[in-house]
Amino acid sequence: MASATQALPQPAMNYRRREFRRAWRSMVAAKWPLLALLILVCVIFAALFGPQIAPLDPNRQNIMLRLAGPLTEGRGKTLFLLGTDGLGRDVFSRLLYGARVSLLVGISAILVGGTIGVVAGLVSGYFGGWIDDVIMRLGDIQLAFPFILFAIMFLVILGPGLANIILVLGVGQWVTYARIVRAQTLSLREKEYVEAARALGDSTVSVIFRTILPNIMAPLTVIASFNVASVILSEASLSFLGLGVPPSVPTWGSMLAESRDQLLANKWWLAFYPGIAIVMTVLSFNILGDWLRDFLDPRLKTLG
Amino acid sequence: MTSLIRILATGCALLCGIAAAQAAPPPDTLVVGLSADASTFDPAQISSRDNANIAKHIFATLYTVNFEGEIKPYLADKTEVSADGLSYLIKIKPNLTCDNGEALTAEDVAYSFNRPADKSKKFTGNSAGFVFPTLGFKSAEVVDDLTVRINLSARTTLALGMMAQIYIHCKDAYEAMTLEQASTNPVGSGSYRLVSWQRGSQIVLEKVKDPGRFKRIVWRIIPEASTRTAELIAGNVDIITNVSPDQIGAIDASGTAAVEKVSGTRRMQVGYNLSPNAAGMPGAAEIQNPKVRFALQYAVDVPGICSQLLGTTCERATSLVNPPNGNPDLKAVPYDPAMAEKLLDEAGYPRGADGVRFHIRLQGPRGRYLNDANVVQAIGQYLTDVGVQTDVELLEWASVYSPLLRAKKMAPLFFLGQGGVTWNPLYDMSLFSTPDATTNYQSWTDPRWFDDWKLALAAPSVAEARPVINRMLKLFYEEGPWLQLYFQPDFYGVSKRVAWKPRRDEEIDLFDASLK
Repeated sequence: MASATQALPQPAMNYRRREFRRAWRSMVAAKWPLLALLILVCVIFAALFGPQIAPLDPNRQNIMLRLAGPLTEGRGKTLFLLGTDGLGRDVFSRLLYGARVSLLVGISAILVGGTIGVVAGLVSGYFGGWIDDVIMRLGDIQLAFPFILFAIMFLVILGPGLANIILVLGVGQWVTYARIVRAQTLSLREKEYVEAARALGDSTVSVIFRTILPNIMAPLTVIASFNVASVILSEASLSFLGLGVPPSVPTWGSMLAESRDQLLANKWWLAFYPGIAIVMTVLSFNILGDWLRDFLDPRLKTLG
Repeated sequence: MTSLIRILATGCALLCGIAAAQAAPPPDTLVVGLSADASTFDPAQISSRDNANIAKHIFATLYTVNFEGEIKPYLADKTEVSADGLSYLIKIKPNLTCDNGEALTAEDVAYSFNRPADKSKKFTGNSAGFVFPTLGFKSAEVVDDLTVRINLSARTTLALGMMAQIYIHCKDAYEAMTLEQASTNPVGSGSYRLVSWQRGSQIVLEKVKDPGRFKRIVWRIIPEASTRTAELIAGNVDIITNVSPDQIGAIDASGTAAVEKVSGTRRMQVGYNLSPNAAGMPGAAEIQNPKVRFALQYAVDVPGICSQLLGTTCERATSLVNPPNGNPDLKAVPYDPAMAEKLLDEAGYPRGADGVRFHIRLQGPRGRYLNDANVVQAIGQYLTDVGVQTDVELLEWASVYSPLLRAKKMAPLFFLGQGGVTWNPLYDMSLFSTPDATTNYQSWTDPRWFDDWKLALAAPSVAEARPVINRMLKLFYEEGPWLQLYFQPDFYGVSKRVAWKPRRDEEIDLFDASLK
């Protein structure tokens, strides 16, 4: 017996088309997920084409033009659309580049954490016994630490930097994935099609990664969509604390941190734009995650 | 609906009550908001300015530097100096006591000098690390109950000013304590005693004798600048330090407080790390060349940094000596990027095909000095503009930057401010007393400076040392290990409830502060 993913090509294509149509109808009916998707497309566009869209170098300082309000005109007809920051850098350009860092950190950290968590969860759930105990207890120990404290501790040791941020945020997420994957694996490993794969002589690695893994991707996708949002927030928090990326890399979190001293001076645009960018992006990921959860729930399928 | 309104009204009343209770400190209490906590109250271990500002209210000293920068007797009554300048016979005032009631005699004064000098205890405070090497301290001995003799290894005009930094404490109390106990249970000789110390939160002092007008002084630790400002405006604190220049307007417009500005004595610089520890780092070889160091001086728009980032015009630095004690012939290097480029070309570092002459790293602290993060980034931009591609790195002060400094393991360029005085130029120059002095963070080893330093120190008076001092300052100007910036202006927020004037030397002296 073939696994669920090894169906005939034409029916599979027809099934996928039907599912896409159902997803689109569901999204249009719910409205908010559509708006969230639109916002995320804009953010992704800004992240991909930021250097082409940005009117100025995001790190180019001109302290003589610092704290200029939105729509201020600089020398040579340069327009500072969203104003300048405390060092005279263009807020709009930094916002565009910041999208790149936020998404890069969000998605990469999920890939790192997801990969570790999925492998750990599959191994733990499939083999059980002492391997399961060791992996799950390691997860328990990590969960006993408040995440932000854990991240600060690691970043103080490793030093700030984009790669380290991704690593720390990724490692901080693995337990969530491991627990979900383990629970799913525990129930799937007894299913007939898994038994059949084993009976046909598939290796353990093949059974785990080719038979079980494809069947737990749906809940993983939902969790990942929620997690991207929380990782973006964590990156913003760490950058706010000065433990994020170097000052030459603009991020929404560090922009927010730099705006602190200016709030009492009523330079609202310094906090407003990065703040809005973080809120909108995180909210969009959360709304999409909610929708995806409902959409993939077979009990709600008729409603979709 | 009615009950909802009642609940809301009660909540508002409670909040107002809490706010009112927090808003006004009692009339006999002065509240000061500091950016950093004390690290110790062991008089032999205290080193940072914030720490010393609290400690000076707990510990008295033989002499004190007053508001005008003059050295005046405090516990000392009479001072006689031997003809060779190597021995100071000091008679202290009678009937002095420590805050535990113990009589304070010459034995305690001698102990206060000898304890920090005890090498077996490995003290790293200001006394052992800076005062004693500069002073040439040899020993302190008891002559009679009220007289002590301080022996020095060389004549110096800095003696009384340096002795003004030694905290006097009672021998019996400290002999009975371990080092750990001494760090948290100070037994002082000053007018206040420590009542409580909640780490990272607040330190409470209570008056035991004059001078001092407030019964209690509360030092609140508020690291974040805008929070300090908000607390001042709300009336929860009376004095705050290190006001961010961008918040001056908000404070002045608040109606509850105003900003007091002083031209400080802290010498802000970009230090060139010339030590072998920096060898191999990008830019480390290039800055060994004095011509490169001098060229970079032209690249940085110091007046622009002052007016835009510090919100004021600064006193420009031409050397490490505070005005008016510097070399009057030296003029501040103007901002002239074209000249910087010309000098860099002449020094043998032309721009490459990518427009870059060489790469270098600039480190700076975050939150230690006035608007430091922004100033460091702006300097990085100015250097990059003349082709010196500068990679800026901002580090946390207490746990990262300060240990790197002490180990002299900074990047080739590092931003630093070092406190100074106005009462003697040699004090300011004593940062470079020896090539391996703790405060010679740049590891500058030019023998011309160190040969002249011995001559200047041995002169009977500053006036007689002046020709040598001027020669040394000219050398420092042309080939020194600093990219000279400015003397840091200091902004203090002061509540309209109190009358208090800040000093130039960053010392916070609350003895004369009073309610209006």
